[in-house]
Amino acid sequence: MNWQQDRSGESPRMELEPDSELAQALRHFKASMDAWSNAASSRPRTAAKLAVRHSWRIAAVWALGCLLAAGSLAGAGYGIYHRQELARIAAQKAAEQRAAAGRAIAQPASVQPISAQSDKKAPAATVRKVSVGAQDNARSQDSARGQDDDLLATVDRDVSREVPAAMEPLAQLMDDNGTQ
Amino acid sequence: MRRREASTKVMAAGTAVEPMTVETAEEIAAQEFARIVESHRPQIFRFLLSSLRDVDLAETLTQECFLKAHRNWKHFRGDSSAMTWLMRIAINLQKDYWRNRRIQFWRQTRTNAVDLDEASEWLPNGERNAEQQMLAREQVAQVWQAVKGLSERQRTVFLLRYVEERELSEIAAATGLSEGTVKAHLSRALGRVRTELRGRQ
Repeated sequence: MNWQQDRSGESPRMELEPDSELAQALRHFKASMDAWSNAASSRPRTAAKLAVRHSWRIAAVWALGCLLAAGSLAGAGYGIYHRQELARIAAQKAAEQRAAAGRAIAQPASVQPISAQSDKKAPAATVRKVSVGAQDNARSQDSARGQDDDLLATVDRDVSREVPAAMEPLAQLMDDNGTQ
Repeated sequence: MRRREASTKVMAAGTAVEPMTVETAEEIAAQEFARIVESHRPQIFRFLLSSLRDVDLAETLTQECFLKAHRNWKHFRGDSSAMTWLMRIAINLQKDYWRNRRIQFWRQTRTNAVDLDEASEWLPNGERNAEQQMLAREQVAQVWQAVKGLSERQRTVFLLRYVEERELSEIAAATGLSEGTVKAHLSRALGRVRTELRGRQ
């Protein structure tokens, strides 16, 4: 605040002599201020009480601050744990899907040696039936899963479809051998 | 204890008097300052109390005023009276307080300032009858109401003049204003008080 700026505003009208009523009011005002000031100067001090109240306020503010900090940390920790848990579940699901897909692929392959050893005359249709069964199995398992599962199922299906075609000449050869 | 000759006063005739040590000079200065604190503390406190209407804050600022004065006591050259110098420090402290309070509005700025009715309750224990006391209380309340409406500098000048009963030159020295400006502020403040007194009648 610049108190100098009012120097230019010096007023020529100076009514500094109060009339009797104003003078009386000013005397009362001064007497009132004297009484209040004397009473306030001689009052008992409450510094200890104020200090205690102040320390309580500080303690309350600190407690609230600690509570907020602890809440924030706990929230952040829970968030990290939640993400890790989701990742673990997703990895578990993916592993299960891979295992299921592996089983689906392995089933037609396991048919081959049985048909080759015990029943050399097993027709190609039987092999096809087995592979179709595995395919249905895989479809029924994958139908409830998401888009990735569908994609994986499509790949499995394609692979399993190729198996009979690849086995076809061998089966024919075995038939030929059998007849020969 | 380190004792060295601080000064040697020479009388007019040229004879040297007893040399004064630093410790002695400091003791004298401390005693002088203590005397000033004792004699001027009530006025400084009363001025701050009337300006702020807050007993705790007035006490705090009074302490700060004398602390500041103690730190700068060796720089006090005596150009003005000690009272004027102290009053100037108190006015600056009060201005700093209001400025900080305006800037730091987000801080806890709980104030213990009493309202005008409570401030008007204080009256000296004179031999007045009930009617006179009531009249006096009413007049004090009206003056408080007018003081509340004054600007900061008008209020300061008004209180220095009519509560502390300082001379215009002292008020000018304490506030850093010219005497003409002080008169102008006083005139406006008195006009406001007068209007308030007439308006309530």
